[in-house]
Amino acid sequence: MTEPSAAVAPPQHPQGGLVGPALQPTRDLGATLPDLLDALLDKGVYLDLDLIVTVAGIPLIGVNLRAAVAGVETMLEHGMMRGWDEQTRAWVRESLARNVPLSADEEVVARMPGGHRRDAPPGDWRPGTVYLTSRRLLVWRADPREMLWQAALEDIIGIDLRTERSVGGEDRDRLAVTTRAETALLSVAAPGRLMALLREHGPDAPTHAPELRAQVWYLEERRGAPAWRGGTGTLGPGGLTWQGAGDVSPAVRAREIRTVQVRRARTPVGRQVLLVSADEGTVRLATRDAAWARALTSSVHEHSGGDPCH
Amino acid sequence: MTPATTEGLYLYAVTAGGAEGDLGTGIDDARLHRVSARDLAAVVHRHTSGPYGGADEDVRRRVVEHSEVVDRLWQAGAVLPVSFNVIVAGNAQAPARRQVAGWLDRHAPRLTARLDQVTGRGELQVEIGLEQHEAAAGDPRVLALRAELEERPAGVRRLMTKRLEQLERDATAALAGDLYPELRRRLVATAPDIAENRRMHPERGVVPVLGLSLLVPLDQVDQVGIELSRIRAELPAVRIRYVGPWPPYSFADLPGTTST
Repeated sequence: MTEPSAAVAPPQHPQGGLVGPALQPTRDLGATLPDLLDALLDKGVYLDLDLIVTVAGIPLIGVNLRAAVAGVETMLEHGMMRGWDEQTRAWVRESLARNVPLSADEEVVARMPGGHRRDAPPGDWRPGTVYLTSRRLLVWRADPREMLWQAALEDIIGIDLRTERSVGGEDRDRLAVTTRAETALLSVAAPGRLMALLREHGPDAPTHAPELRAQVWYLEERRGAPAWRGGTGTLGPGGLTWQGAGDVSPAVRAREIRTVQVRRARTPVGRQVLLVSADEGTVRLATRDAAWARALTSSVHEHSGGDPCH
Repeated sequence: MTPATTEGLYLYAVTAGGAEGDLGTGIDDARLHRVSARDLAAVVHRHTSGPYGGADEDVRRRVVEHSEVVDRLWQAGAVLPVSFNVIVAGNAQAPARRQVAGWLDRHAPRLTARLDQVTGRGELQVEIGLEQHEAAAGDPRVLALRAELEERPAGVRRLMTKRLEQLERDATAALAGDLYPELRRRLVATAPDIAENRRMHPERGVVPVLGLSLLVPLDQVDQVGIELSRIRAELPAVRIRYVGPWPPYSFADLPGTTST
């Protein structure tokens, strides 16, 4: 924060006390450059001329001119390239190609800051830039250059928003992208918008019912005796996951649930155990959330057509 | 696309016409000119190459050079700033100069009205945030956790410190939401025109409350400073970023001049 120098007499508080001198604004470029960049790339007069070559770095022919005030990043974040003519798109493609490896006929639909969470330990977030192109969804890191994650649009079978608590403590919507191989978690500047664009541009990217989460207990097989652990059970297009409180990653992943059986046994939340069988193995879960338990049972119908046993 | 071979004009700002004299230079030392129509003038340089691009550092420098031109014009009179990298191209039928003059002519009433509104005024950008340690110091949950923390061994304390920070941030965010209407009301009372800034630049540990651009008569800038000073005296946890006065970047849009 800039604490500007004070140069005037202290004003009087309406109630009579001194409140200190009037704050003086700063024009010091060292402190104001970020504001100046925002102002000049994002604001200012716009012209409804067909002959504008660029606005904030983007050639502008036949573009929605209301949008023209937005800076290049804003426009790319909004996926506005669709409205541009071929020559304009070629220009943008060329300038982007310097930064990210695209094939010759691949076009960027939208681009925004984001990151990918590594599935393997340490399960950390790796920041980069998320690109939606005419063929792929990818997360690219420019420096050092690395493709952090990518999926062909036709391989994407599900997209969903997941609310997570970020390291900074805010609730953040993450984009969960399910392919036949995995469910990847992406952070993006505008997850809702990217999801909408994905649905629009993906070949037939399906929309799924939102994920269902509940407080779920999991009987973890440990050396000696198994232990019930509290955590979050999630049912979604990627199947079932369970993540223990404080764990960085789910301890249970079942992509396709074969059967769900209900057994009687003592659990921390009653006398009912859900015995869930999947390709990955069989796990024992318990929850007070009846709706979640029902959804778990019915997911057997949806995904494998198997017969749930009760 | 428009033939790129024709000379274009790079735009800096729209000003009232009538002024004469040397405008100096702009980006990359390009000589500045006026394109006039009715009582208006656009300040431009002749531009034959494509749009500015390249390394961030170069773009930054050019944005600053662009802003210096706008600022100079604003010190001399009212301006409507134009965004960075707006270049008007000409074609065989009409050179760029005629395109710009025609645009000024078509929108003269609106441009003139907007210029009148910003005359003698400058833009102040205010960002108010709350420092989370200070803001949440009195929160009962924070106090309880703090007391508990004192009695714990070092290893546990480290873990609890993270929880404490989280709790502080949550409490501060709630406080920020509560403060917003009141602070906004008080700042808006100091300015005839305001614009909300979506992007804020808070420092680490500071939870943003609000970001506003205020369009203020230049002889009344101190009233904003006095209000901010009061706010700071009342709420020691606030952190204030206060920038300007600037040309009216956030107040140069012209409703109704687009064809969309």
